[in-house]
Order: sequence, then structure tokens, then C-alpha cells
Amino acid sequence: MEAPMTLQGELDALEADILRMGEIAEHSVGRSVEALLERDVALAQAVIAEDDVIDDLYLSVDRRLLQTLALQTPVAGDLRLISAIIHINAHLERIGDMAVNISKTLLSVRDLPSSPKILSQLQEMGDVVRPMIRTSMEAFSRRDLDLCLKLPKMDDPVDRLNMGMYKEVAALASDPLLLDWGMRMNMIARNLERVGDNAVDIAEQVGFLLTGEFREFTDASHEVAPRG
Amino acid sequence: MTDESTLVPALTGALAAGVATPETAEIVFDIRNLSVLYGTFLAVRDVTLPVHRNEITALIGPSGCGKTTVLRCLNRMNDLVPTARVEGEILYHGVDLYGKDVDPVEVRRRIGMVFQKPNPFPKSIYDNIAFGPKIAGFKGDMDAVVEGSLRRAALWDEVKDKLKGSATALSGGQQQRLCIARAIAVQPDVILMDEPCSSLDPIATARIEGLMRELVADYTIVIVTHNMQQAARVSTRTGFFTVDVSEDGHRTGTLVEYDKTEVVFTRPSDPRTEDYVTGRFG
Repeated sequence: MEAPMTLQGELDALEADILRMGEIAEHSVGRSVEALLERDVALAQAVIAEDDVIDDLYLSVDRRLLQTLALQTPVAGDLRLISAIIHINAHLERIGDMAVNISKTLLSVRDLPSSPKILSQLQEMGDVVRPMIRTSMEAFSRRDLDLCLKLPKMDDPVDRLNMGMYKEVAALASDPLLLDWGMRMNMIARNLERVGDNAVDIAEQVGFLLTGEFREFTDASHEVAPRG
Repeated sequence: MTDESTLVPALTGALAAGVATPETAEIVFDIRNLSVLYGTFLAVRDVTLPVHRNEITALIGPSGCGKTTVLRCLNRMNDLVPTARVEGEILYHGVDLYGKDVDPVEVRRRIGMVFQKPNPFPKSIYDNIAFGPKIAGFKGDMDAVVEGSLRRAALWDEVKDKLKGSATALSGGQQQRLCIARAIAVQPDVILMDEPCSSLDPIATARIEGLMRELVADYTIVIVTHNMQQAARVSTRTGFFTVDVSEDGHRTGTLVEYDKTEVVFTRPSDPRTEDYVTGRFG
């Protein structure tokens, strides 16, 4: 039987797995958008299959987090790290699911006509949310608060493009097939917007890890005061 | 229970005034720049720490950090060490605890202590509880005092049929609850606890911790513990002490950080506290 790991050993292993999940999730989102733009069914199917890796990591991390809490009773900085990893783990798993949603949508619209303008806007959203995931995970691995605070600004164009998408789709109303395709693209825009929000949430968790105080960077229901 | 007229006038008068002052009402002990010397050896340096009413305050830190020394200053137990000298101030409800008119015996009646190892008198359970009130001149219903104290200490149901039996025949956990009942019997204001669970098993420890949570509604409790999880579980505020070693090898205890327990165990402000509570020593 293996000797139990030290708390530091557990924390290092958990962090390494979370960083790996971040890389896979970012990769999946990028490939799901690429598959959409290229109508690449095989690539979309690969993204769907790759989600099993994220899910397995999610379950493994979740189980070990509980075990570490029960056996090592971490406190102070260790406890904040555990808490941050609990949340980041869930956010990355959700991001993986968004990539799957995008890929599955492609499979359902592959025979429909498309609008180059809408595709270009979705590409633009994808080009922003990928770096958002990378930046939030880099802020985590470098313990960099300044980097965390860049996330809300990065998210602005994603929100703007998502908000404008329904108008672009409505403009397709005269062509029923194109409208059918467009409605599904609106859902993809929503998924990409959620990916951006999850990246902001990850950065908020890193902020908590570093400062000991949880603070939402953005809040849909209230104005959030700028950081003093 | 104890007639007010039996108290030392200086303490009583000042106490009455102190308790009535709103700004001191929430602070039971105001420890200011406390240093303790044993002969020329400086054991604890410059501790400043308020103890709040009806709260459990935990003092934690490695061996030799001075936490027990500070605890013993709170009811003048260090008076019993001939070479001990206290500098700085301890205000108890606004009264200088070391003032020349203050009677240390009366101090210890108001501020009881429970020790690391249960230390019942080699007498019956009943006599253990009755002893304090008796020497304080209590003339009322002693049976009621004994029952009330044992009930408060969550021991009554276990011992009510053997009150005349020897206290030393009780289990370790029961003996410690008896010592708490004995401390309560003289109606103290504060209960000091010096590692009260260190010789007890987890079940007895859980009972004492549960008892502390109940007692804090009526008393102020200060506990020294080596068990950090115990401090985290039961206390409202925590003081972390450490040992400074001088160039010539002298070891002196200092208070590093004092804050709400939740803060000490989630976001301590001093890296020495972080290292200690997370178990990263040396």
C-alpha cells in the first residue's frame, strides 16, 4: 500500500491536474470553433470525445479535494487554494461542456446554408475567449492578481457580440433554412459568452486565493465598483 | 452566592464602576504591553491583547512561546512563583489586576482555572464542588449549588447517584468536567483553561468542547491549546504566539497575531502564523 501523500504533495498534484485541464479546455473550445468554421465533422467528433478526458480529470480532482479536506484539514493559504481549485475545477468542466455543445450544434446544422458574417463574428468571439481561459489559468499558476483584473475588460467584446447576435439572426428571417441555422448560431454565441464568463469566474477565484477576500469582477444584476 | 461585602473594597468599587462603563463592558481583560520575567529571564515580551466578554479566546503557539505564562497572569497564578515579575498592565474590567489593593484570592475566585491534567481533590464528588463555596463563606443551600454546578458542567446525570463516591474514581473526561463544575461553583466571571483536553480521548474532548460552547453564554473563557483544530472549532478569537531566539540563545515568547479565529485560519496576516497553522515549521 502506498504511503499517504503530504499535504504539499497533494496540493501540487491537484494544481498540476487543474492546469492540465485548463489547457485541454482551452484547446477544446478553439477546436470546436474551428470545426464550426470549417464544417469539419471529424474535428467536432474529436472535441466531443476529448471531453471524456476533462470529465475524468474533473472527477479525479473532485474526489482528491474531498479526501484532502477530510484527511489533511488544510487551513489559511492551503484552504484558500483548495477552495479555489474546487471552483476552478467546476468552471473548467463547464467550459468543456460548452465546447461539446458547440460541436454537437455543428453536427446538427452541417447540411444547412450559413452566413459568412455570423461565422466571422463567432470566430471573433472564439478568438477572444480562448486567450481569456489561458490568461485566467496563467494568473492562477503565476499567482498574478494584475493578470486576473484584466479578465473583465477582455470579456467586453464577447458580451457585445453575443448581445448583437440575435439581430444578425433576425435579419435572416426571409430564408427559413438560413434562419434555422442562425437560431442555432445564436445558441453557439451564448455558449461562447458563457465560456468567457467562466474564465472571469476563474480569475475571481484566483483573486480570492491571493487576497483572502472574494469579490465578483462583474455582476449581471448590479454595478460592480472598480477596485480601489 | 458570595456576599459583595466579603470582597476586597478596592476591587469591588472599581469593578462596579468599570462594569458600568460602556466602553469597557465588552472587554474583560485589557492586556497592555505585558512582559513576564522569571528572575532575569524574559519569558514573554510586550503582549497587548484584549479579551472579550462571553467569548472563547484561544492562545496557540509552539512550546515555550509564553501562552501558558500569559494565561497564568490572568488570575495571578504567577504570584506563586517567587522569582516571577510582571511588567505592563492587565486591566480586568478596567481595574489594574496587579494593583496593590487587589486581593489575589478574590481574583482567583472570580477568575477560575482548569488545568491540563484533571486534578480533583481526593474527596467525594460532592465535597469537590462544595469546597470552594465553603471556604468563601457560603451559608446557603449547598445541595443546590452542587447540583447546579454539576448540571452546568453536564455531569449531573452521570454522578447524581454517587455524589458521596470518590472523585478520583471517575474517568478522565468526567474528572475534567468535575473540575469545570468545581470552578463554576464559586460563580466566577472568567474560566481559564490550560490545555484542558490534552489528556482526554476524542469523545471526552468533544464533550468538553460542547460544554465550553454552552458555558460561554454566561462566562468568558480563555483557553491555551496545542490542538489547532480545537482552537479553530471553539474559539471566537485566536492569539498566535511564537518564540524569538536572541543571539545569545535566550528564548522569549511574543504575540505575533491576534484576530478573529476565522481570519487566523483562513487569511492570517503574518507569514509566521501562516507557517504555524499550516504545519510548515522551520
